[in-house]
Order: sequence, then C-alpha cells, then structure tokens
Amino acid sequence: MASRSSKPPAPGSSPPPSPGTSTDRPTRGRVVALTGAAAFLGRNLLGLLEEDPRIARIVAFDIKTPETAGPKTRVVSVDLTSPSSEQRLAEALVEEQVDTLVHLCFLSSPTHATAWAHELESIGTMHILNAARRVNLRKLVMWSQTILYGAHPTNPNFLTEKHPLRADSEEHYFADKMAAEREVNAFSVKSKGTIVTILRTAPLLGPTVHNYVTRYLSQRAAFTLLGFDPLWQFLHEVDALAAFKLAIDRDVPGTFNIVGDGVLPLSTVARMAGLSSVPVLHTLAGPLIGALWTVQAAATPPSFLRYLRYICVADGTKAAQTMGFRPMYSTREALSDYIGAQRLRDAQLLSDPPA
Amino acid sequence: MSEHEQRDGANEEETERRESVASEEGTAPDDLVASDDLEEDISTAVAPIGPTEPSPGTLELSHDGPPSGPGDEAAASSRGSRMPTSPASPEELERQILELEARLDQMMREGRGASAQPEGGARKEGGASPVQPTSATSPHGAHGSSSTSGTASAGDVGSTSGSTSAPGRSPRSEPPRSGEPGAAGTAEAPADAPEILSSEYYNQRWGRDGMRRRAEEVDEYGFDPRYEERYRPLFDFLYRRYFRVEVEGIGRIPNEGRCLVVGNHSGGPIPYDGLMLRAAVQREHPRQRELRWLAEDFVYYLPFAGTMMNRLGAVRACQENAERLLSAGKLVAVFPEGVKGISKLYRDRYKLQRFGRGGFIRLSLRTRTPLVPCAIVGAEEANPLLHRVEHLTRLLGVPYVPITPIFPALGPLGLVPAPTKWKICFGEKIYFDEYGPDAADDDMLVSRLSERVRASIQALVDRTLAGRRSVWFG
Repeated sequence: MASRSSKPPAPGSSPPPSPGTSTDRPTRGRVVALTGAAAFLGRNLLGLLEEDPRIARIVAFDIKTPETAGPKTRVVSVDLTSPSSEQRLAEALVEEQVDTLVHLCFLSSPTHATAWAHELESIGTMHILNAARRVNLRKLVMWSQTILYGAHPTNPNFLTEKHPLRADSEEHYFADKMAAEREVNAFSVKSKGTIVTILRTAPLLGPTVHNYVTRYLSQRAAFTLLGFDPLWQFLHEVDALAAFKLAIDRDVPGTFNIVGDGVLPLSTVARMAGLSSVPVLHTLAGPLIGALWTVQAAATPPSFLRYLRYICVADGTKAAQTMGFRPMYSTREALSDYIGAQRLRDAQLLSDPPA
Repeated sequence: MSEHEQRDGANEEETERRESVASEEGTAPDDLVASDDLEEDISTAVAPIGPTEPSPGTLELSHDGPPSGPGDEAAASSRGSRMPTSPASPEELERQILELEARLDQMMREGRGASAQPEGGARKEGGASPVQPTSATSPHGAHGSSSTSGTASAGDVGSTSGSTSAPGRSPRSEPPRSGEPGAAGTAEAPADAPEILSSEYYNQRWGRDGMRRRAEEVDEYGFDPRYEERYRPLFDFLYRRYFRVEVEGIGRIPNEGRCLVVGNHSGGPIPYDGLMLRAAVQREHPRQRELRWLAEDFVYYLPFAGTMMNRLGAVRACQENAERLLSAGKLVAVFPEGVKGISKLYRDRYKLQRFGRGGFIRLSLRTRTPLVPCAIVGAEEANPLLHRVEHLTRLLGVPYVPITPIFPALGPLGLVPAPTKWKICFGEKIYFDEYGPDAADDDMLVSRLSERVRASIQALVDRTLAGRRSVWFG
C-alpha cells in the first residue's frame, strides 16, 4: 500500500527514527495528526503511519490511548465534547508543527446518546476547524460516508460526488455528519492554503471492523422489507485504510467516493451471511423498528430502513481517476472476508475485535 | 449465528463442486474442470473450519486416478494436483450441478423411504444426508478399499446439511456393524427424525434453493441473468404465442455501439412494452444485442415491481444512468412519454403524448448517440385503460389507479393483458451529429428536435396502424 504512493511530498531523506528518546526525533519529514485515533480507522492508520519512514511524527488525539501507538506517536488526550478542547488542539498542533490533520472522529454506529454524539461530531468538528485556522495547516483529510447521500427511489444507480447529501436530516446520526461535512466545506472555501480532502466511504466490512452493518449481518435473523431488494455496496476495511493513506501521501483536494467494485442485492447479502431474512411490510416496519430501537433491541433507528428499501450506491470513478485509488476487494469479496472471520469467531477460533 | 447456517451459502457451492468432480470422474474424466476462481476462493475461505476429513469427491478421485497420494487421507491435499486442467463452459458446469442436485434429492428421497423399512435403509446415513452412489448401492465394494470413506462422507455431509451428524457417523465408522442391517437400521432411525424435524434442516434447504435461483453477481444496475432465465419460458410464451410479436426493420439497430431506441409507451396497469422490446431485440437481432430500457421512477416506490423490473433489465430513468449506459456502448430504450404515456386512456391510444422536457434529446446530443424511432402497435389495446382514479396516489405511491374493463373487478386476474397481436417497427436512424454537445443546453433546439422525433414516431405508428386489419390477428 505504502509503496504504491510513488510521489512523497517531502523526500524521505530523514534517517529512520530511533525509538525511545525524544531528542532523536527527526525534524524533517511530515507530521500527521489524527483525531479519533483509538477507533478503528485511527488505530489502524496509526499503525500504517508508524511504519512509513516519510512520516516524522504522529500526534494522536483521543480520550484513550490507541494500542498501536509506537515511538513516533505522541498521544494527546483531548475530549472533543469539552469547550476547552479547542485550545488544547491548537497548542498541540503548533507545538508539533503538524502539517496534515486527519479527522476520523465520527461514530461508526448510531447511538442512543444523540446529544453527546452531536457534541462530538458536529461541535467537535467545529473545534477542530477552529484550531486548524489558528495554525498553518497544509492538509486536512476528513472521513465521511456514502450513506449520507441517502437512499431514495430517485437516486441514480451510481451517485457521484456532485450529488447533494440527502440523508434523513431528522436522524441525528446523519444530520451531525452532514453538518460536519458542511463545516469542512466552508473551511476549505475560506482557507485557501489548506488542501481539504473528504473521503466518503461505503459501509465498511472486513474481518476486524465493527459497525452497524456487521451488527446487522451477525444477527441470526434480520428484518427486510417485503418486496424490496436494493443493491448494496461495501468497502473492505483494508481498502479504506489504503485510501486514507493515499490521501495523506498525495495532494488531492476535493471530495471522493471510496467504494468497492460491484454491487450485491440485499437478499444475496443475507443469504451469504447465513441471515434468515424476516420480510416486514414497509408501512409496519417503521413503528416496529422504532419500538425495538427505543428498547435498545435493534441495531439501528428506523431511519436506516430506507437503506433496506432504496438504492444508495456511489460511483468510485473520480477516486480512481484523480486519486489513483483502486480497491483491492470487491463488494462480494469484502463480504466473504467478513463472513469468513465471523465463522472463525463463531467457532471461537478468533477473538472478538476490540470495539 | 450457527456455523452451518452461515456455511450453506458458500459452502454448498463447494460441496456441489466436489460432487460434480466426483461424478465427472466416473463418467467422463476429460470434462473435468480444475479451476474456477471464485469457487476456489470460497473453498479456501471456508477451509479452516471445513471438514478436515477427505470429502467423498476426493475419495472417488483416488479410486479412479493413479494413486499419487500416500493414502486416502492425503487425497484432499493432493486434490489440486490430481485434477486435469481442461476448461469446461459455465453452462456445462451448471448442467452438471443441477443434474447432481437432482440425483442427490432423489437419493435423499430414497433414503427416507428406505429407512422406514429396516432392511433397505440399513446402509444409509441420516435420512437427509446425500450418500455417494458407491456406498449406497454396493456397500461391500466400497468397503474394502476405504473404511474411512464412510466416515468422511458422513462427516462432510453432516456438516453441510446442518446436522450435528454424530449419530449418523458412528455406524459407518465401524465396518463390522454395517454387515448387520437390522442393528444399523435401528441405530439410524432416531437420527433421522430429529434431522427432518429441526428447523436447521429446512433453513439449509431453503438457503440452498435461494442461492441456486440467483446469479453469482448481478450486474451494476441489478440485472440478474439467472432470474431472467427462470422467467424465460413465460416471456417466450408471451412473445411467440400470446402477443405473437412481429418485428420489422430490426436491422436498423446497429450491430454495435451505443444507440437509443425511442418508442411509444403503451397505457395500462402493467406496461409490457419494455419487456417485449428487450425480448424482440434479443431474439430477432442478428447480434442478439442486449437492450436495457429506462423505467419510470414510481416503479421503484412499489414493492416487488421495482425489484422485479430491475432484475429483468430495467434501469431507472435518469440522465446519469442513461449516460453511463450509453457511454458503455449499450443499447438503451426510452419511452419519452413517461408516466403520461402509461396513463393514456383507451380513447387516446396511439396518440403520442408530450415528450417531457426532451431529456432524451439532450442525452443524445451530449453523448452523440443515434436515435432509432420505434412504434409498438398492439400494446396499447392489451390493457385498455378506461379511467384513472387519481385520489389515492399519495397513499399507494402510484401515479394513478387504473380502471380497465376487468381490472379492479377481477382482482389481480384483471392485470392479465388481452392477447392482442403486436407489431414492433423500427424506423430509420436519426443522427444529430451536426449539432455539437453544447447544443444540449439550447432549450429551443432541444424542443424542436424533440418535436421532430415525436412526429416521426407518430408517423411510424400511423403507418403501421394503417396496415393493420384486426387488433387480434394483425
């Protein structure tokens, strides 16, 4: 993955960092900061960056320490929901002379704590951007998701980046992320010197990732909507990490859909995952899932039912042409990789991934 | 989630494959296929928790082929090297799989019937477990060479069929007991009933049926060739016997490259014109080109309809989809009348409605695609629409509720179209090459060109109508 990125922005002439002593810290090379560094994407990306000799230092912002933090990493404990986080972030960014900030601090599954999620995602993004305005940031990479396009019967089969984000704005999970993306777009318009890259990933699937999709698929039986069988699209976790690495290595301003090749009908996904689908009439499904969500028995709030009904598939052509990103796993391969790991987990040959 | 339930999607293919390998080896060793990438992938993905014993298929191989492995136990590992690498077509493979499944089902039926009477059922494993023919018919022949064979097949089969298979395995692993039919029969009987009664068994059967009826992968617009294949007899019947479709000027559709077929839409609750147009091009065109037609949005609000149309080759009508299809060099059919065309009343039949905002003209200008006008005559009498009720539209998600001579009266049966005689005529190709792609933004031009195309289709329809003597016999 790293070897594919052929053009390092700064020539990697710095000697490999000798671990341990802070005085030996190389001053040349790039400094990357990650928010949400202890979550899935941050944790794994941290591991990749640790191994990249062109990256001099890494600053990890999170409330807990990521276990992949190595000698190059400085962990800064920041709680984005507190108002003082802005100051802390700015200080750390200045002190470490960060040139690339990767904003991954978004929830991968909907939560009942919507107020907290709003503080974290929407307000947290504001804090991060305010901190970024104070320092001379060269690049900002942000994680977004293709589900924000929303599932509509009027969607084209392949949504391009030009398509407006039309996810249900009543749902906090979508609304906060869309607000965050709006803020980042406003930031990119105002601060001309900063390269802003937004990567919209398809739902992530793979052996270790944990989110609402894996929770849906790991059920024994799951609701589907009677008579609807939309096409789904997945992205393998490894491809997602590769895309972020690529966005860090190359300067590609803009918004990109990062998706796996191919689509699968929901019914095939269910069959492959060994899921018994329980078809529900779509008019009844909303109240039913709403009730189950209220008592915390459903993986997702009822607003996610649209994705069981209509298509929401994005087109990855722009990422292929501009970024040079090609996924290594197709949608089907990502799914079977997840299923393989899930089987091992069922047979207790593989431990659960860290949440 | 239980292990077997998950397995049955992917692993079933693997099992089938092994079995197909086994039977082929028995009958025609040359037709054997060694590598099918996808299935190989699945089989390796499954390997860690798959059966560790050699499968029945590999054992069969080891009987027939030269003994390259140290023993039967090594057969599984040497399977890859043993297989000849002559390729076979997917159709051939599919036929073999289907054949084997039929045989399997038959053997399962036999097994169940036989286990009712102790003498006959003595040699069976669990009632539901597919047994290799050698062990079922000539137990003593198979016996001498492989005492492990029984264990292996029982184990393998047990794990794929979703039972724990412990009771089924024990009698087979002890060769001496199998000589006494009575004893083995009584030992088998209890294993049979729970397996048939367990929900796992039905779940697995259902899962397997479900996967067989769909293709490995739908195309990027959701078209499923296997699904279409399943309905093919019905479409053949509709095309040849029911509507007796007659096609004129099929040669005007180019042999390759992008092309936009523009037709008149027929009114009625279920428009069959897209489906029949697709069938016509597929059957009559010298190159058997695949046509995708663009369907109205409202179809996708409806349960079943949207999914079904999608699997059969319809694509939602929008500029993005059409452009993507055309730039891939596909043949696309469009009905510019849209919903207005479907909701045409019987008295307005064959009078082309307004052509929307000329989206198809813009499309053609932008992508430099030639247009082929097309008249579909006969379709507009198949579902004569007498009246449309437009009050319930929001509630039901349909643009109108159709009233035909038989529709709400006969219930769903009222949706059956009348057996009119159809004629599909293709006109001369229309090129807009003299205008550049920028012309797509010129509203006046688009409107003028749209009107021109509408007039030419109307003329084509009128001409075909004039040549028709009867609605029913053409």
